Amino acid sequence: MVDVSQHELVPEHTVLEEDELEEVLSEYDIDRTDLPKIKRNDPALPDEAEVGNVVKIVRDSRTTDQAVVYRLVVE
Amino acid sequence: MRNSTPKDIGSINFGLMEPEEYREMSATKIITADTYDDDGFPIDMGLMDPRLGVIDPGLECKTCGKHSGSCNGHFGHIELAAPVIHVGFTKLIRRLLRGTCRECSRLLLTEDEKAEFHGQIDEAQKLGRDLNDVTKAAIRQARKKDRCPHCGEIQYDIDHEKPTTYYEVQQVLTSEYSQRIAGAMQGGEDGERMSPDELAEETDIELSRINEILSGSFRPRESQRKAIEKALDIDLTEEDTNKLMPSDIRDWFEAIPDEDIEVLGIDPERSRPEWMILTVLPVPPVTARPSITLDNGQRSEDDLTHKLVDIIRINQRFMENREAGAPQLIIEDLWELLQYHVTTFMDNEISGTPPARHRSGRPLKTLSQRLKGKEGRFRGSLSGKRVNFSARTVISPDPTLSLNEVGVPDRVAKEMTQTMNVTERNLEKARRFVSNGPEGHPGANYVRRPDGRRLKVTEKNCEQLAEKVEPGWEVNRHLIDGDIVIFNRQPSLHRMSIMAHEVVVMPYKTFRLNTVVCPPYNADFDGDEMNMHALQNEEARAEARVLMRVQEQILSPRFGENIIGAIQDHISGTYLLTHNNPRFNETQALDLLRATRIDELPEPSGIDDEGEPFWTGYDVFSELLPDDLNLEFTGTVGEKVVIEDGQLLEGTIAEDEVGEFGGEIVDTITKIYGKTRARIFINEVASLAMRSIMHFGFSIGIDDETIPEEAQARIDETIDDAYDRVEELIEAYERGELESLPGRTIDETLEMKIMQTLSRARDNAGNIADEHFTSENPAVVMAESGARGSMLNLTQMAGCVGQQAVRGERINRGYENRTLSHYQENDLSAEAHGFVENSYTSGLTPREFFFHAMGGREGLVDTAVRTSKSGYLQRRLINALSELETQYDGTVRDTSDTIVQFEFGEDGTSPVKVSSGDENEIDVANIADRVLDSEFESEQEKQEFLGRRPRPTNLSEHADDRLSVESTEVSSDD
Ligand SMILES: [Mg+2]
Ligand SMILES: [Zn+2]
Ligand SMILES: [Zn+2]
Repeated sequence: MVDVSQHELVPEHTVLEEDELEEVLSEYDIDRTDLPKIKRNDPALPDEAEVGNVVKIVRDSRTTDQAVVYRLVVE
Repeated sequence: MRNSTPKDIGSINFGLMEPEEYREMSATKIITADTYDDDGFPIDMGLMDPRLGVIDPGLECKTCGKHSGSCNGHFGHIELAAPVIHVGFTKLIRRLLRGTCRECSRLLLTEDEKAEFHGQIDEAQKLGRDLNDVTKAAIRQARKKDRCPHCGEIQYDIDHEKPTTYYEVQQVLTSEYSQRIAGAMQGGEDGERMSPDELAEETDIELSRINEILSGSFRPRESQRKAIEKALDIDLTEEDTNKLMPSDIRDWFEAIPDEDIEVLGIDPERSRPEWMILTVLPVPPVTARPSITLDNGQRSEDDLTHKLVDIIRINQRFMENREAGAPQLIIEDLWELLQYHVTTFMDNEISGTPPARHRSGRPLKTLSQRLKGKEGRFRGSLSGKRVNFSARTVISPDPTLSLNEVGVPDRVAKEMTQTMNVTERNLEKARRFVSNGPEGHPGANYVRRPDGRRLKVTEKNCEQLAEKVEPGWEVNRHLIDGDIVIFNRQPSLHRMSIMAHEVVVMPYKTFRLNTVVCPPYNADFDGDEMNMHALQNEEARAEARVLMRVQEQILSPRFGENIIGAIQDHISGTYLLTHNNPRFNETQALDLLRATRIDELPEPSGIDDEGEPFWTGYDVFSELLPDDLNLEFTGTVGEKVVIEDGQLLEGTIAEDEVGEFGGEIVDTITKIYGKTRARIFINEVASLAMRSIMHFGFSIGIDDETIPEEAQARIDETIDDAYDRVEELIEAYERGELESLPGRTIDETLEMKIMQTLSRARDNAGNIADEHFTSENPAVVMAESGARGSMLNLTQMAGCVGQQAVRGERINRGYENRTLSHYQENDLSAEAHGFVENSYTSGLTPREFFFHAMGGREGLVDTAVRTSKSGYLQRRLINALSELETQYDGTVRDTSDTIVQFEFGEDGTSPVKVSSGDENEIDVANIADRVLDSEFESEQEKQEFLGRRPRPTNLSEHADDRLSVESTEVSSDD
């Protein structure tokens, strides 16, 4: 089996801790359901990610060096 | 009583309406199909009952007392003789029939299943998902049940015959079961016979029973039937269908408990399923279906009224027949007819139902047709509507205008007005406008007194009216030079299709525009028309000036480089001016620069042999550049272009230097010196180029594409050579000696090799032809400079047109095994498959011409298909993205506040504001250098930097002094 999460083109996905999540939600003044979604069976997700978790995705960016995105894990 | 206070909409709910609600809101019950009596008065309780609202001016509404215009009209209602199905809900009705019990009407799900779907609905609602997915799954689950989990009743299949008929289908034992069994026991074609004994053994049924069944005196039970079916491999059932009348369905739905429909995503507070079966039909107010009086005094009714007349007639016949005790068959026919009329009243384009037609044969435009489609209420009347203060006419070029300007015909200027609020300071002007009247040019069409009264300015009253104008009045004056208007060319595919221009009023009938704005609009002057909109309030005018003016759009958001620049003859012009750096005497140099703001020549570039001073093309062009511009890059012609301190030192100015899509000099000036400086530069480059192309003279004729005889002879030789080689290939192929290329068949290999040989032949012919064209040849100048055309075009004109292709292959279609009847079958030669050996100048033979037309046709079809496909794709993209909005916190969200991007474009940058170098990387070093340079070069400069004021932006071109531009160009770009 190929572990795509190790591929150089797959950005880093990390599960957010509850307190970090609170910070993000209050920064954008949103509920977690307002976040973009990601399917639980997405191969890029780390194994410990569960439905209802929020993952932080850090991408390389040509213009801003790093682009950070949050996604809610759904069924 | 006047009530014009604007109201706040608190919320909007969508749901079904209860029949009782229809009755309550109804102004009157409608019972007669007639509209007007013999004297032309509306009949009471008819379709034009005065209580339904007024359309004739002067009359008073019998319900609300208001006059036409302020009365919106009132609904009436028809009591339907029998319930009918609402066509808009046929799918939902089918789903409910399939998902609920035919006996107890409860949802065919256990309590656990119900709870689960309930949870799923809540979740979908929270995540903004489609509820339909969940409810569909719930119905699918319910349909699986053969028996009701609540009362145990057997459930049947529901068949839906579009549009509005439903059947219950059950599988029952066919009446000819004995014959079928006997037939199967005889054995069919495969001939295997089975005796009653064997059958009895195999099915475990007593032999006597089998015999009874075979004689038809005993109907087998279900289990017996199945056993026999299995043993004999036959089907003993037939479908028994039972039509469900709307009244049956209504009774069925009435019994569905509230908590069960909640699981299906229906709010029982607002919508009960039985309301999908109509018992009362609301009658739209007359204002929604006004009748028109024709010239001959006859009234012509609206399509909706015609449809309502049909409904009432059938309704009455239905009632009469039922009271008279007519047979069930007739009642059912009438019921179906009523259903048809109510259906087509709501939607007249249902598949499988003939549309209701007008007497003339035209299909009626009923409720759904009013809303649907391009001309419907949503797309035609709400999203897009006709507007005032707009004009449309043919466009034509005017190189003397600035790119920010638009020439507006005087007759348009006199029609489009701008509102002028009269104050003490503009009183004189306002009076002058009014006294010029509506016909004189800077005149006025209307004035509004402080009391709100609007007066038309006429030729007769204009003088008197002008004297009455006082501060506090409003004057609707004509468009004048310097006004800002919006200009647009369809199809408006990108932002630059709608830009703001400043008006220059001109004689004649066309809109005039500078040729450099053709690329953003994708306009040419072969009959193109464009639209103009005069802005009607100060806010709009300010926004247009700041955001939409042409100079604000020089950089394209698509690729971050300039989309406006020199085109076509401008490029030929600058090429002639700078290629080989020609010399000009004083008069010539001044003439070149006459349309720019330069009115004094710099020091001469040198003194010629006769002792006269001269100026070079470089020096003349350099006059247009900012004084401190430094630039070095590889240009169009392939040589280096060097600009130092605003002086062109090396290179030829052509497409890549000043052209429309990323011309390096234009791009740099826009980014470093700002948009105003760029606008001036582009305008001046265009003017200088026109002067210079006129100075040198530039024309093209057939002699520019003809070549000497000996060259023609060499070309013929090359082509003959190629023919020979093709012949060799074909012979090798026929002998079977041709070796196939990897991954190709022999045939493909042959085709490829022939194509290769022929295209090499064409290239060689082109090269021979090119040898005879000097660099002064106008076609060469245009191709080299990038103004228009390519060397390939020249090759085809002078050398050889070459192979024609359809779908990337040589031409292979037409007759059986040949392209034209002029050739032998299976002729593989070059000329039989569309090789055109002639050039456009020497002329094509009829056969060549035909092949050429085939190839040309493909191109035309491709473009036609592409435009329609991409147009639809564009529409869908726009609809999908239109509600996304960048918020003040930098996020991009949709209307329900769901985040789409955490930072606009994931980096928060605009392509227009990003400076990028050749490799498309951020040119950080360059930016840093510029910042440091301007900050630390000298103390004095630093002071200047600190005391610097922002460059004035977006002044009107009529307000800024063209001669003092130099003073505004020092500061760097924001
Ligand atoms: Mg055109
Ligand atoms: Zn009214
Ligand atoms: Zn039941």
